[in-house]
Amino acid sequence: MNIEKITILSGIDKKHNPENFEAIEIFKGEKIGIVGPTGSGKSQLLYDIDKLANGETKTKRKILINDTKAELSLKTDPSKKIIGYLTQHMNFMTDISVYEFLTLHIKIREKTENLQDSEELIENIIKSANTITGEKIKKEHNLLSLSGGQSRALMVSDLAYVSESPIVLIDEIENAGIKIENALNLLVKSGKIIFLVTHDPMLSLSTDKRIIMKNGAISKIIQTSEAEKQMCKQLSKISTSIFQIRDTIREGELLEYKDVLRGLK
Amino acid sequence: MKIIIFGGTPGSGKTSMIKCVISELINDYSIHYIKFDVLNSSDDELIKNKYEKVSSEKKLSGEVCPDHYTALEIPKVIRKNYGKDILIIETAGLCLRCSPYVNEGLAINVLNNLAGKPSSYGPLLSKADIVAVTKGDLLSQAEREIFRAEIIKINPSAKIIEANGLTGEGGIDIANFIRETPDFKDNLTLKHSMPTAICGYCYGNKVLNDKETALTFKKGKELKAKIPNINCGKCGFSSCNEFVRAVINNEIEETQCIYLNKKHPDAIPCNCNLEEE
Repeated sequence: MNIEKITILSGIDKKHNPENFEAIEIFKGEKIGIVGPTGSGKSQLLYDIDKLANGETKTKRKILINDTKAELSLKTDPSKKIIGYLTQHMNFMTDISVYEFLTLHIKIREKTENLQDSEELIENIIKSANTITGEKIKKEHNLLSLSGGQSRALMVSDLAYVSESPIVLIDEIENAGIKIENALNLLVKSGKIIFLVTHDPMLSLSTDKRIIMKNGAISKIIQTSEAEKQMCKQLSKISTSIFQIRDTIREGELLEYKDVLRGLK
Repeated sequence: MKIIIFGGTPGSGKTSMIKCVISELINDYSIHYIKFDVLNSSDDELIKNKYEKVSSEKKLSGEVCPDHYTALEIPKVIRKNYGKDILIIETAGLCLRCSPYVNEGLAINVLNNLAGKPSSYGPLLSKADIVAVTKGDLLSQAEREIFRAEIIKINPSAKIIEANGLTGEGGIDIANFIRETPDFKDNLTLKHSMPTAICGYCYGNKVLNDKETALTFKKGKELKAKIPNINCGKCGFSSCNEFVRAVINNEIEETQCIYLNKKHPDAIPCNCNLEEE
């Protein structure tokens, strides 16, 4: 399904007051940040989008796809599902190996025509997942024995290669111990709409615009300025340096002043 | 009257889901809610306290197979609540095998995403009209897709709805299916026949031994043939089965059943002890 545009029609905040906008339009290829304090309604907004809400959720918002109300089949038929969703709470629950799991999912999504292609795709998924997590995933690993970071990395990679959806929703996965920039690069392929709930300043600034949440309502929308994008690059360097420091400490080495200064330059 | 049956394992979120559905329907329909369970339940109180307009009750199967009991009781519940628009039946559907769904109503299976492979479920899932899948918010998207594919394999015609009793997700969709469900006209028929379980253990045998079981079965069967099996309760037990068990365990005399006690005036109209005469 080709998605040119999503429209969010306003609903109500936690005190049942109407939101102060009529409609927000988001177009193909845009990356949207969702920021705000804890409990301000960030995850609920993602939830409304995921459900293609039609006034039935507690916010009463409505989501339009290409200017029309979503048909019921978009919600009930998994093969028509247009939204990929990744949250901090999601876990793997099935007692099978990484390889069996991916084989099953590829088969269900009808991604490949023969076994050889399927094997190749699995190699790629695991390879990409391993660019996101520090601890290497192997295909014979049991799904349940993966660490939090490995699980999240595999979910991201699966979302990128198997559950290819034109709309991707991401809820605070920076807490999951994965290299978030690599993860986003993997997901952001041309023509997708990405919604990203985050507390991370750098991630917020890496978006095209950001929705500010307050008391359960969308309070405003800010276009990311050129100046902010420049600052984001600086922040990215600091972040890389912090990652290196983290690795240094994790490896049992002693931290030196030059390690810290490197990030500030 | 529309007959709506919700089935699902304990903890799958049936009652929460039913609350969401009632909230959607309460302004347009008169509703009676009944909960079938085995030993205990307070769900009828939950519904009663939340919705003044909904009448609610519970029935506990006790010593009888819960799904057989449900099937036996449904006609009585319908007679008692005739005139209501919707009858919502919540059943624990515990054995996954009987699951008494009816053809003339709507069968909804509330299925927990975290509860293991759908292939291990019987008619509870395979004969449902709607499968409301709960707790998906805790699972990776890939696994949810795999789970759905497995549901479709077992029940290709089911409408699958992602539901969440806490947030109300899916409630409006289920309510809409209920609105479209026609009133039942004459008879209710089961979607599939229920398996029997008739053996010594049904009559209270506790020793795992072929001979003992066979003997208990023989005694139980003979006694069952003599008593009226109407669960009148006049013997002090809530069901005839419990009475039979107590007699076989030598706890009471069979004459405690007023129909077997020839001196009792009520014994006369019963023709079940004609054999003896």
